[in-house]
Amino acid sequence: MSIAPFVFKAELWIPQYTGIKVTSVRDFIQTLKIIDKYSIFYHMYVNIFNYHNLPVYYTNSFAHWFYKNNYLLLAEKISIIDPLDYYDLEELRKDLVQTLESNYNQIIDKHDLQPFYFIKADRCILECDRKATNLEEFIEGIKASSINSLFYHLVTSKIQNRTSVNDYTAWLISIGEAKKAEAINKLDLYAMNLYEIKKEIIKILESGR
Amino acid sequence: MIEKYIPFVGEEAIAELFVLSKKLKNLRILHINSTRKGGGVAEILHRLVPLMNELGIKTDWQIIEGDEKFFKFTKKLHNLLHIPCESCFDSSEIVYYLKITYENCEKINTENYDIVFVHDPQPMGLIIKKIPGQKWIWRCHVDTSTPDPRAWAFLENFLNAYDACIFHMPEFIYEGIVIPAYTIRPSIDPLHPKNIDLSEEEIKNTLTRFGIDPEKPILLQVSRFDRLKDPFGVLKAFKIVKKKYDCQLILVGSFASDDPEGEEVYKELLNLAAGEKDVFILNLPPDSHKEINAFQRGATVVIQKSLKEGFGLVVSEAMWKAKPVVGSNVGGIKRQIVHGITGYLVNSVEGAAFRIRQLLANAEIRNLLGNHAKERVKHRFLIIRHLRDYLVLINSLINTRF
Repeated sequence: MSIAPFVFKAELWIPQYTGIKVTSVRDFIQTLKIIDKYSIFYHMYVNIFNYHNLPVYYTNSFAHWFYKNNYLLLAEKISIIDPLDYYDLEELRKDLVQTLESNYNQIIDKHDLQPFYFIKADRCILECDRKATNLEEFIEGIKASSINSLFYHLVTSKIQNRTSVNDYTAWLISIGEAKKAEAINKLDLYAMNLYEIKKEIIKILESGR
Repeated sequence: MIEKYIPFVGEEAIAELFVLSKKLKNLRILHINSTRKGGGVAEILHRLVPLMNELGIKTDWQIIEGDEKFFKFTKKLHNLLHIPCESCFDSSEIVYYLKITYENCEKINTENYDIVFVHDPQPMGLIIKKIPGQKWIWRCHVDTSTPDPRAWAFLENFLNAYDACIFHMPEFIYEGIVIPAYTIRPSIDPLHPKNIDLSEEEIKNTLTRFGIDPEKPILLQVSRFDRLKDPFGVLKAFKIVKKKYDCQLILVGSFASDDPEGEEVYKELLNLAAGEKDVFILNLPPDSHKEINAFQRGATVVIQKSLKEGFGLVVSEAMWKAKPVVGSNVGGIKRQIVHGITGYLVNSVEGAAFRIRQLLANAEIRNLLGNHAKERVKHRFLIIRHLRDYLVLINSLINTRF
């Protein structure tokens, strides 16, 4: 059986305002239930990219908003929901809403909070003119990849392909490189910035050659 | 030219731009604004337009023409978009704006383009020239978070005829816009003389040329002599800090000969600082890029205590030079500085003084915040990201049916 080549892609986007802003936790929850799923994508995923190189307090903008408005409990509860565990934005939405609703009665909701602006990502998934049919080509392809490309294959491709395994891992398994695939799958995206992740991936791929 | 950005953003990011631009190769793009010289918009277009052409996307830049009366009106409109005011414009001024707009319709060729970017309110009325098949984008560079409703209503006459609009941040997007509204942050150019690397010697020489001691801590604010930039607040903060720390303050900016308010503010500052040997109030020509660069690089702490700010490019410039910035918790500054990580956000003179003291006391914090600040600018506020955002937007618009 022939193996499909790995096609290198990149995740690009521009932020688009949904026209919805909220100033209370109740309105936040109600909006979260109906907002465009690419708004959840923007606030939960793109934020990881935007701040990957800084030691920010929280890695998603929902948690950051609660923190800023002094809802520390909600900030913490939301902060631990890891978007990388999901491949379905609707599932993620469900868990976010459930977490907020189950903790809502423990807070005093105010109606004059600093506004939260719901932004959505207008996405462009770009094919990068590079393919790999074997490990050598794959390594060269990774070396030529931007952090937007890494971000796509490690993070957002899961949503695109509706799978819990990232693109790199899935393809490496398909060419019989299970050990390398597993090592890449175990990389902690929150522990390093994307430039460091890239170096780690190259190190893993080049090990034992 | 584009390869000169590789050291800042990496070869991979530039290669990606070429791939993206291939999708847009047959398009013709036009940028329109009201001046080729001076101001942040012209500065960005001077670099952005050649870069787009280098990527193989045919891009032109045209300027509208107007006389003093026209620009007096658009300046008034600009101010009203920032802050409501009792006095507004009258119908004769609107008629005059429309007259000049019609004259520009004759002069500006927009017919041969697929995508037209119109920057700021001055050329906004040209939308009447839009023909089927074209996509017109209005790019707002003004902080419109609290506009005078009459000024906003005037803009709305034109705005919703565009295909999309761009603001710096969502806070600036006024309610009632029915077209897609995007948020794209402005950027700085690392190759601009304001931002290029300087040797220690060049920095020292520039400082000493102005009588500034390079060995003594320097606080700096770079801004127009404008009350909205609150140079008086900076002076007050400096006086509080000075009680404990032997430091210097540089307030540097420029005012045009036709800006009576700028001159007034400058003179007022000179009076207030009279006798203060460590305060330097410098009115420099607008093209003093290398001097500003040297001041920023020589500064210990950079301040931006604006009362209102669209997007403080000088904040990004200082951050790019790995300087900790103490900035007001207003406008775009809120999005540039991550409080406690890339600098400090403050809400008062006292808050500014407190943070400045904290930074003067601790070189380690200064370095940490400064290095994070540089990382933030490198990742989010350089011109290559700005260019990529425009290309992604164009790609999105040409693939959207309206």
